[in-house]
Amino acid sequence: MIRSIHKVAVVATALAIGLAGCGGGSSEAGASPSSEGGGEAGSGTIAVITVDPSNPYWKAEVETAQSEAEKLGYETTADAHNNDADKQNQFIDAAISKKVKAIILDPAGADESVGAVQKATDAGIPVFLVNAEISEQGVAKSQIVSNNAQGATIGAQAWVDEVGDAGNYVELLGNPTDNNAQVRSDGYAQIISQYPDLTLVQQETANWDRAEGKAKMETMLSAHPDIIGVVSGNDEMALGAIQALKDAGKLDQVKVLGFDGNPAAVSAIEEGEMVASVLQPIVEGTTLAVQQVDEYLRTGETGASSEKQAIDCVLITPDNAGQLDDFVLSS
Amino acid sequence: MTDTLTSTGAAPSAPARPKRKIDVNALLVEGRALVALVVIIVVFALLSDNYLRPENLILMTRHVAMNAVLAIGMLLVILNGGIDLSVGSTVGLSGVVAGYLLRGYDMPFTALIAYPPVWVVIIISLAVGAFVGLINGLLVSRLKIAPFIATLGMLYVARGVALLITNGETFTALRGSETLGNTGFLTVLASSPLGIPFPIWVMVAFALVFSLLLTRTAFGRWLYATGGNERAAELSGVPVQKVKVWIYVLAGFCAGAVGLLLTADLPAATPRGGELYELNAIAAVVIGGAALSGGRGTIRGTIIGAFVIGFLVDGLVIVGVSTFWQQVIKGAVIIIAVGIDQVQQMISKRNAVKRAHVPSSAPAAPAGTPA
Repeated sequence: MIRSIHKVAVVATALAIGLAGCGGGSSEAGASPSSEGGGEAGSGTIAVITVDPSNPYWKAEVETAQSEAEKLGYETTADAHNNDADKQNQFIDAAISKKVKAIILDPAGADESVGAVQKATDAGIPVFLVNAEISEQGVAKSQIVSNNAQGATIGAQAWVDEVGDAGNYVELLGNPTDNNAQVRSDGYAQIISQYPDLTLVQQETANWDRAEGKAKMETMLSAHPDIIGVVSGNDEMALGAIQALKDAGKLDQVKVLGFDGNPAAVSAIEEGEMVASVLQPIVEGTTLAVQQVDEYLRTGETGASSEKQAIDCVLITPDNAGQLDDFVLSS
Repeated sequence: MTDTLTSTGAAPSAPARPKRKIDVNALLVEGRALVALVVIIVVFALLSDNYLRPENLILMTRHVAMNAVLAIGMLLVILNGGIDLSVGSTVGLSGVVAGYLLRGYDMPFTALIAYPPVWVVIIISLAVGAFVGLINGLLVSRLKIAPFIATLGMLYVARGVALLITNGETFTALRGSETLGNTGFLTVLASSPLGIPFPIWVMVAFALVFSLLLTRTAFGRWLYATGGNERAAELSGVPVQKVKVWIYVLAGFCAGAVGLLLTADLPAATPRGGELYELNAIAAVVIGGAALSGGRGTIRGTIIGAFVIGFLVDGLVIVGVSTFWQQVIKGAVIIIAVGIDQVQQMISKRNAVKRAHVPSSAPAAPAGTPA
């Protein structure tokens, strides 16, 4: 049976050179149309503007926002600004001219995004922020952020418990213009600095990216072959570092900490390759945002006690990794 | 002189003499890149004890290898006076295609899932790269779209298709399984025959094959001719359009190869793979002495250019220079390396003009002043 499938595979794939891409494309197009949904309860369109769908974390954010909104009867559009404030501006303009009912936004920078949010608010379109905040209050209807500082401290504590209280370690930083890169790094430092014999010998930016994380890790290993730990600003970079350590045969002596709780990282934790990661409850936060959008559109109030709402992060270790499925922790 | 003394047969000595002359010229062109490379190695060796350790040299060369393979393809396009901005996206696309096929691919119109064997996966991924190149080539040669525009468009198209195929996911199931008969992708592409990582072997193989292609074949002569003066080449019977299509196909093929190497290296097929790689490839080519206007450049220079960038970037990390300064320094080195090259060319051109037009230069100067 397998043999025959195998043979068919050879012929078909040989014939389908180049069609492979198209096949994948069309099936995906069928799988995720954004304008499905009943349309009885709520009505109108909600614009969902997030960062980068090629990262599983933001992908979960977009998909949650869309499916929750469609459940409530809204139509949705989805755009990604890749942390480019200018692109974000254009998407906001487009949403305004389309006269959408509301905007769910994962902002591109705390300061850079204030103007864009103000513009939509001035045009009478309520904006609800998820994942990251902006530096002013009273402009957006609600700001639902995951508490990155708290997340970094619980991650760092779990990492210290594994790595011990003495030795050299390195850090992989996220995109330096991204708020969370610094917040997480500060959170790590806050805990690790309590252990004076743990020495940070090098910090490198790897822009949240796995390939860059691997290359930087390899080079840092060359410079510091004696390290015992790596703290990383997100899971993708941590996974790159893990591969570099595996290739160098050093994974058993170096403990790696990630952040985000993305599916690949969770399996790395289950296999004992990553010490811990920190789950940002993005699905929970986004669901909450959609509920507040719906509440606001129906009653004029979000129903939340304050505009800024921080959701605490959850530590993911081998103990609870099995309960985590696509950013949702089952109890 | 030694030639005539040692060789008895006339045939081998005749091609040997012009070849040596070309080598000297080429060395002069590449000299600056080579000097830059030596300076980089000396400086970092002084700053860090780890820099010249054999393991580190192999590591840095492995990092160089992928950019070098990409730069070889880029060189062909630049020799023609074109540019290919789409190679980075093509790297991502071909890697994603490989990951998609290894994971098992739903056959259209049936309920079967196909698991092609690894060699088929590799061929298809390379073909996808070449196919993107073919589109570039046809856009440039048939529709006469400027290479910058055509390949800029394909940069977005290829990246978009990679995202569509993966729906944004990263494929990590690349190991394959015995029962499905699709193991071997990682064991081959991420292996280290004789202690040298596979990407380095690929770089060496590509460098040899492509330098033979450029120096020993009619295609190579045509390519240099079209880059030097396309109209003249066309009039003297060079199949200019055909050459144009082929160089983009080959550049796409190189990008496909890098996509496979990157995917095996991670090991993961991510739709973001290869972002901005095109810029590093262009930098390697120009540091290696090639002219963006076409007609000038060598494989050897390009490889040296790739080493300059790779050894510099890794050296800065090893020494621990801040990330922000790393970018400033990398940019400055590119500008300095190419700037020196340009100055030298201006001087030699001015000298050549002086020698050629001594009598006619006097009336030419006043003619220019009224305007």
